[in-house]
Amino acid sequence: MAANATRELEALTPRYMAWYRFTRNPTAIIGALMVTSVVLVAVLAPLIVPYPEHAGAAVNFRARHVAPDLAYWLGTDKVGRDILTRVIYGFRVSLLLVVGVLAVAVPLGAALGLAAGYFGGWTERIITGLTNVMLAIPPLVMALAVGNVLEPNLVNAMIAITLLWWTWHARLVYRVSKSIAAEDFVEAARLAGASHWHVLTREILPNCISVISVKTTLDAAFVILFGATLSFLGLGVKPPTPDLGSMVADGRQFLPEMWWGVLAPGFAIFYATLGFNLLGDGLRDMFDVEV
Amino acid sequence: MQENYLYTFAKRIAGFVGVLFVLSLMIFILARVVPGDPARIALGPSASQEQVDAMRMQMGLDRPLTEQYVSYVANALRGDLGRSLISGRPVTREIAALLPATLELVLATVILMVLIAVPLGVVTARYRNSWIDNTGRFFSIVGVTMPSFLFAILLQLFAAYFLSDWPIIGRIDHTLAAPAGPTGLLLVDSLLHGRFDVFADAFQRLLFPAIALAMSGIGQITRITRSAMIENQRRDHVLTLQSFGVPDRVIVFRYLLKLSSIAPLTIMGLEFASLIGNAFVVELVFSWGGFASYGLNAILQKDLNAVMGVVLLSGLFFIVANIIIDIILLMLDPRLRLKEAR
Amino acid sequence: MANLLDVTGLNVAFRTYGRRHHLLKDVALSIPEGGRVALIGETGSGKSVTSKAILGTLPRNADVEGGEILFRGENVLDMPRPRRDALKGTAFSVIMQDPLSSFNPVFRIGRHLDDVMYYADRRLGRRSSAGHRRDRIFEVLRRVQLDDPRRIVDAYPSQLSGGMRQRVLIALSLLHQPDLLIADEPGTALDVTTQDEIMKLINRLVAENGLSLLMITHNLGVVRQMADDVYVMRHGEIVEHGALSTIFSSPRQAYTRQLIEAIPPLYGAKVEDQKPAEADPIVEMRGVTKMFEQKPWIGQGTRHVAVNDVSLSVRRGEVFGLAGESGSGKTTVARMIMGLIGATEGSVTVDGKSVEDERGSDAFRRKIQIVYQNPGTSLNPKRTVGQALSVPLAFAGMRGAALEERIVELLRQVDLPANYVGKYPHELSGGQKQRVAIARALAADPEIIVLDEPTSALDVSVQKNVIALLTRLREELGLTYLFISHDLSLMRNFCSRIAIMLRGEIVEAGAPREVFDNPRHPYTRALIAAVPVISDEEETRKPRVSDEERRRYLVDTAA
Repeated sequence: MAANATRELEALTPRYMAWYRFTRNPTAIIGALMVTSVVLVAVLAPLIVPYPEHAGAAVNFRARHVAPDLAYWLGTDKVGRDILTRVIYGFRVSLLLVVGVLAVAVPLGAALGLAAGYFGGWTERIITGLTNVMLAIPPLVMALAVGNVLEPNLVNAMIAITLLWWTWHARLVYRVSKSIAAEDFVEAARLAGASHWHVLTREILPNCISVISVKTTLDAAFVILFGATLSFLGLGVKPPTPDLGSMVADGRQFLPEMWWGVLAPGFAIFYATLGFNLLGDGLRDMFDVEV
Repeated sequence: MQENYLYTFAKRIAGFVGVLFVLSLMIFILARVVPGDPARIALGPSASQEQVDAMRMQMGLDRPLTEQYVSYVANALRGDLGRSLISGRPVTREIAALLPATLELVLATVILMVLIAVPLGVVTARYRNSWIDNTGRFFSIVGVTMPSFLFAILLQLFAAYFLSDWPIIGRIDHTLAAPAGPTGLLLVDSLLHGRFDVFADAFQRLLFPAIALAMSGIGQITRITRSAMIENQRRDHVLTLQSFGVPDRVIVFRYLLKLSSIAPLTIMGLEFASLIGNAFVVELVFSWGGFASYGLNAILQKDLNAVMGVVLLSGLFFIVANIIIDIILLMLDPRLRLKEAR
Repeated sequence: MANLLDVTGLNVAFRTYGRRHHLLKDVALSIPEGGRVALIGETGSGKSVTSKAILGTLPRNADVEGGEILFRGENVLDMPRPRRDALKGTAFSVIMQDPLSSFNPVFRIGRHLDDVMYYADRRLGRRSSAGHRRDRIFEVLRRVQLDDPRRIVDAYPSQLSGGMRQRVLIALSLLHQPDLLIADEPGTALDVTTQDEIMKLINRLVAENGLSLLMITHNLGVVRQMADDVYVMRHGEIVEHGALSTIFSSPRQAYTRQLIEAIPPLYGAKVEDQKPAEADPIVEMRGVTKMFEQKPWIGQGTRHVAVNDVSLSVRRGEVFGLAGESGSGKTTVARMIMGLIGATEGSVTVDGKSVEDERGSDAFRRKIQIVYQNPGTSLNPKRTVGQALSVPLAFAGMRGAALEERIVELLRQVDLPANYVGKYPHELSGGQKQRVAIARALAADPEIIVLDEPTSALDVSVQKNVIALLTRLREELGLTYLFISHDLSLMRNFCSRIAIMLRGEIVEAGAPREVFDNPRHPYTRALIAAVPVISDEEETRKPRVSDEERRRYLVDTAA
């Protein structure tokens, strides 16, 4: 290749190109800011909420169903608890759910996907077969069924969601790892004496990281959404723990007059899911991968 | 070529049968290992131990698990999913009565999804990075990220504040007599019977639930269509047509659209699983009284036979939808038909 | 003589990632009425950009920053869009480069042809009925030697072979008699025999119809057959221009000279003979057959004989060339020798031991290494040169400082500086990546290296250096090479023995001098005759093949 053309192209490292794409995408930056704000607020909850005692089973009947005002920025609920306080604590629960689910589902799915894509044969047939079955199950229906035969609470909701969630990662990583496994450098590593373990962890996995991280970010949004839906249906977190989905369900009884009881937690969910989604989209553009 | 068509198709069907088998096994195991005795649930807390034992015998719960499973599958194949533990009526009949309501909702949703998402995806790709694109993308991302229960409630609030006469609960006004049969779909039946009052009412009531249910699918499909269009636009075959002066609109609306509808269709098949899940929520909010509401009640009341029936049927629903999509894909994409030839 | 096309002072820049790349710098070229002009250059020289600028199909991020493109005295860059579009397919036509991706896979071939014809007719203000268009399309398809046009128009792109698709692409450009035909590396992706047919076809059509031709290529052999005037392009600039004979006989620029000298000669005084190896065989295949079977759960299975009753022996220290076109089974043979796949019948032995018994053992795996064709996929994009080289060393038990020293030594052996240890593949050029791949093969300390078309993805000047490196390493380290290629002129000079494969069988084998001077099998003759060469001397010394014979071995027409 031409000498000066090479010099110009050399400046275009993958890192530069990724950074260029990310910074050219205002929605990605907005998403990153939204996610940061949700995480910060959730972590600092005890320090910043106006009425820390309202996070639990407290009652405050003098101030039932107060519309948003200066004392209660987002109004109060049916027993007079500050909705802002409970929304902030609700973020905590949502994020806890996200971490709990993804910490298990992502590595599990990725490991199975890697193995299926690399080893092929029966390993591939069994894992992809299982994945296909799991994908045919309406996740919400299954999570409801599992959550209910066990006791409905945060941990069981986590288990129920995790049981289904790994399949998406398995499917995705399988696709990538199968195409990477067919590349010449994998065969070359094997011929050089490398073990399967080396090939899986050093040759294939690094090429899957960008896909996994994009998918995980997008997933955070869907787990929040999913958890909120479960508790909206009464099968998630148990009261009095503040949870965004059950707050919407509670507030629904007092519609249309006490609209804030639904809109505040509802839009809080939307804010968090939107943030993770915008960030995930930005990362997708940045790494230029298909997820 | 005809043969390969059938072969590809037969292979997919075989796969689906496998899916149903594993699904039935999973749900059976789940239903049998749960704490809580189905016989006890059926009889209520006041029944004596003897009554419960007799019930267990009658339900076949004393037999070995494999035997129970085999007879469950054999019965299911004949359309018998057992009796509801709560009402005592056959689960199959209960579900059959509610199925048309859900079917109508889902069909309306799919039609909305295709009618809105595909054109939106094409237009946003065509005018990439313009204000049209940005608006369309924002709209689709809202669809993907907003919980469907929130969307359903927002639509109800909107109706309550701005459209005071718009009915937002149920399938049909209780003062109107629904025409009987033949499809069970109110919109179709009312037209067949010439009942335009019923049609108008049912249409109004269907619109908001269908929109709420379609939102997330619209978001996904718009996104996929857009990125498929953009991806395919870079291909050499577009350059071929451009080099010979074939107009852009022909390239976009004929060549690219067909090629770019493959990816969103495939995704739509997978989306069906979450669509069925979301139907639970939307039916609840709009008091729709369909199959999904039935399922939700069954789960809340631990009506195990009904739960098993609901899960199996949801799986079947997914599979039928995917078979239909497979047929459409086979018609669209010659590569799928020709692949086996080599 | 009036020129059909005059390009003067053409400057084109691309904007990517916020940076500007100046791709065409003051390009000037002229195509006389009825003339044949070639534009040659290596990867990234800007030759395809030039053709796109003339056609008006530059991508959106390209800016024409100056210059004129005069077609019959009128600047096409100043034309309003509809007028410029009206030239497409009627004044200028292009033969697309890649027959595999140039058709939309979900539409029939006929649909493409009909749409192109319909809209061109409309721009010309002509009305045409569907039946009439169909007749005209059939006629053009027959002109490009597609004898069953009905089958072609009803076929989907994937149902046709590469050669047939390339012919349809030519037909596409001839639907309306154009004045200028632009051919952008036609047939590059096809086998030599097919490529040769395509070139002859284009030449004939140009002569018969009195077209002007702009041939864009990197292959100097092709230029000799296809052009009267030659422009040499490098880094977006025209560096030399002249009549074909002057460019080849007395090039003025060092770059042009270097390009010409880098091409291995097929015949003549410059041909190098590798001395035959006298040692005992290290690889032996006896009556080896490989069958690939697909057995689905239902329905009939398919069976494909990839290699049929092949016997060969490779002597220690020689360069054994395995030549053949795509699908001939040469790669399958190599993979059986490496123990990556088993033979269905027959025996394969390496160093006197059966591969079937040895395969999978660490010692055996390291004995035979491979250098792949595609430098883009042979190195892991996420791992540095040092990490890639350390794999074979670490698994040989090397650690710490010894390992680092060995890596530096390996880099030195393949003429790369020691500081390349920390570089990632994207920082390397194609030739440098192949050097790293060679170093990785050497790191396992092998006895045999399989070279699977190691230079076919590289520019000729780079190819020359890589081949020189391989020759030197073989002498220094006493390696045995199994060289797989379809490039016969390269094999003539690099191999000490070659075997020609056709449809899974070896049809001829021997020392290169014998095989090339006196080819016995008609397929060998057809194959050698199809090689594009750069001198008349070589052309006259090629074996003669009758048309009938040649057609018999065209892999493509059989599909």
